[in-house]
Amino acid sequence: MARRLVALSKSFWGEKIILLSPLLRNMHKIVTVDMEKDILSANRDLAEQNKALLEEHGIRSFDFLGAIGSGKTLIIEKLVERLKAKGMRCAAIAGDVSGDDDYRRFVSHKIPAVNVSTGKECHLDAHLIDHALEELPLHELDYLFIENVGNLVCPVDFPLGSHTRVVVISVTEGDDMVRKHPAIFAFSDVIVINKIDLAEAMQVDPGILDRDAMSANPGAKIVMMDARHEKGVDELILALGL
Amino acid sequence: MHEFSVMSQIVSSVIEEARSRNASKVERVTLELGEFMMLGHAQLKFAFEVLSKDSLLDGAMLDLRTVKGEIECGCGFKGEASPREDSLHQLTSAFECPKCGELAKVTGGRDCIIRDISMVVPDV
Repeated sequence: MARRLVALSKSFWGEKIILLSPLLRNMHKIVTVDMEKDILSANRDLAEQNKALLEEHGIRSFDFLGAIGSGKTLIIEKLVERLKAKGMRCAAIAGDVSGDDDYRRFVSHKIPAVNVSTGKECHLDAHLIDHALEELPLHELDYLFIENVGNLVCPVDFPLGSHTRVVVISVTEGDDMVRKHPAIFAFSDVIVINKIDLAEAMQVDPGILDRDAMSANPGAKIVMMDARHEKGVDELILALGL
Repeated sequence: MHEFSVMSQIVSSVIEEARSRNASKVERVTLELGEFMMLGHAQLKFAFEVLSKDSLLDGAMLDLRTVKGEIECGCGFKGEASPREDSLHQLTSAFECPKCGELAKVTGGRDCIIRDISMVVPDV
């Protein structure tokens, strides 16, 4: 019964609208407006501006992406140590949802660093980097390392303006990591497979990760690392052209 | 994961446009999404519903359209990307040139564009 009433009232209102429509037409109309607004273009434009600003100062920049706990911070620390020993001037931007643990690790190497807490966001964006660059002594730098929020999905859609994108995974995440997140590997320049010293304990074959990475991005340079014990650091330096 | 923040940008852009035209209601939003974007349709629709509540967009329809990815290969091929069904990496197999099999450059399918909006405006 209730259903029938609803149906009746629907048709009643339908007729009402039809009856009233000539009147309504004089007051309101429905228009379709072309917007053609690219939602991500603002980020892309800012990323280009960041890149131009870095280039103006002769700075080469690297954006490190990767899973949580894959070793991004330690790898950047190792690179900074080597580059500092060669007399190069480095800086780092630490991106995290909250906390300043990574930032403090960078500062302990006596390099300029900026902590970027995204709060709720799952990725850094070009706007956050733009502000972080304001806090760095750009005229005194040769290299900039940007560590993105630990995440293998979202950073893909948000270029930051860096010259080279590096994605870091470790054997402790399992041998299916590349197959689960192919896009981030396809859109990166260098792929690091870290913690290979733990491969046996984890019963993971790093060869599978290597094969999948190669298949996801045949153009990428793939580097096997055990950053904790300095293995693969030279290979990474070579791959990054440092 | 960032569907909500992307959608809040979309909703505010649409509201801004609707206000500038004195619209009383937005009926439909057409959104074009590149095939290679890391944005889920179901999550976008959910975020749209939540964010449009009690605004000019309340009850509006979100018309989500997928735009095919485009690739350009060194061999000269230029056109639509075509992921292989049998591929291990369905997404990345779309980057392979269908002509020579080499990895091609992605030239389209990474955009998120508000194509048009239908709204109720005063007829003057």
